[in-house]
Amino acid sequence: MTIATLTKPWEAFSYGFLDASAKRELRRRMLKAIAVPGCQMPYASREVPMARGWGTGGLQVTLTLLKPSSVVKVIDQGADDSVNAASIRSFLSKVSGAAETWDTLAATLIQSRHRIPEERLRADQVLVLQVPNPEPLRPVEPNMSVARQMHADADYGRLWLILYEQIVRSGRIMQGASYPALVNGRHVMTPSPIPRWDLPKLHMAQHLTFLSAGREKRLYAVPPFTRVDPLVFSDVPYKVEDHAALTCHRSGVTGYFMNEIPQGSGGSVFELSDSHLGIKVIRRAKGEDVALGATWYENGKMPQ
Amino acid sequence: MPVLAAVPVPDDFEVRTNATFEALMWALSRPGTVQALPVPGMAGIAEALLDRECRVFCEDAALADQIAPFGALPVPLPLADHAFLSLADLERVVQVLVGADLYPDEGATVVAPALFGTGQRLRLTGPGIETATEIAIDGLAPGLWSLRAARCRYPAGFDLFLISGTEVIGLPRSTMIEVL
Repeated sequence: MTIATLTKPWEAFSYGFLDASAKRELRRRMLKAIAVPGCQMPYASREVPMARGWGTGGLQVTLTLLKPSSVVKVIDQGADDSVNAASIRSFLSKVSGAAETWDTLAATLIQSRHRIPEERLRADQVLVLQVPNPEPLRPVEPNMSVARQMHADADYGRLWLILYEQIVRSGRIMQGASYPALVNGRHVMTPSPIPRWDLPKLHMAQHLTFLSAGREKRLYAVPPFTRVDPLVFSDVPYKVEDHAALTCHRSGVTGYFMNEIPQGSGGSVFELSDSHLGIKVIRRAKGEDVALGATWYENGKMPQ
Repeated sequence: MPVLAAVPVPDDFEVRTNATFEALMWALSRPGTVQALPVPGMAGIAEALLDRECRVFCEDAALADQIAPFGALPVPLPLADHAFLSLADLERVVQVLVGADLYPDEGATVVAPALFGTGQRLRLTGPGIETATEIAIDGLAPGLWSLRAARCRYPAGFDLFLISGTEVIGLPRSTMIEVL
């Protein structure tokens, strides 16, 4: 072994920003995450040019997977054009030469905060979810060593207690986002702050999902065709948000997850949360040749 | 004078290791499917995954020399987080690290040569498989699958990559294997 074999020619920066050793570590952890679905795997979480808590976990997974032929879509609360999404997307393409897209159908790699697209993801697509708090047990057990033991014992009774208390206090389950779900019948995970509407999309899906928390330095995965069962009581079925009958005031579509926009008059109007689906519907109505993919929800209902 | 390219271009090392990882990722995500590695053999997998943070066991001396430059510490099998070995006899398999319920990530990644499409037929079920899938694997010890079932008490266990030339099949610990 010589110095020459241990060094390499000068580069302005590593391809895909992360250096080779960071990528190797992430690869090893991502493989373990796939092997044990829903189980949180620790990783080092390198510095990236973005503050922790703004999607650095998702960013590192995406950077590891990027190659020049990738097509990346980044969404923030369903929108492709928010500052956070636009900045991350332009960073990703700048450091890798990958193509950018807003279209779910065209993307090979989708990094997302708080939503899963309404159009069904295919078997060749990878979804990367940014996770602020990866530990579903944190509300009931702040000590992470104890929480780890509870995961090891599959001791999840206290999560049901939270849901029970919500029913007792409010008459219904109040947990709106990050609804805890049992993955592969063994580990409870938090699906990141996606709405209840999106959680059934992970159950027996075609695509591979990575969930990564950069600040908390943990990642986990939901492989394709994996059971993802929200925690429910046998006599209180899982309910998604009551959006099935709402109509988007811009595109006119009904039956998807909506953003509520309060009006001066005291009422409110609704618009599609998955902004590019709305754009495609509007463009199609104007006569453009736009392909719409099959959606998970049909007429506001998820087929069983 | 080196120049900063307007569009970043990956070098051969990056292209190779990225493609190797993608093959491993899809192999593990869809157990039983055959994925294509960019370079034949086991050394490419070591190149994509191993560095000085790893402890490796390598049965084959020629392969051990090949992967030594990646920097992983050579250790006996019961200490290794990555193991490159032959599964033609079983005495090695009982020594492979399986982690524990408390630390499932300490289960080893095992890479072994095999032959696909002939030999023992297996039915696979579990995450990554919609209903069930059948594969045929040859070149492994006959009692391997019952020993694996005994050792892989989910979520503890080891994850297996079987290699035949440029083809790889992944069998994560979450896969249930029925010997037909």
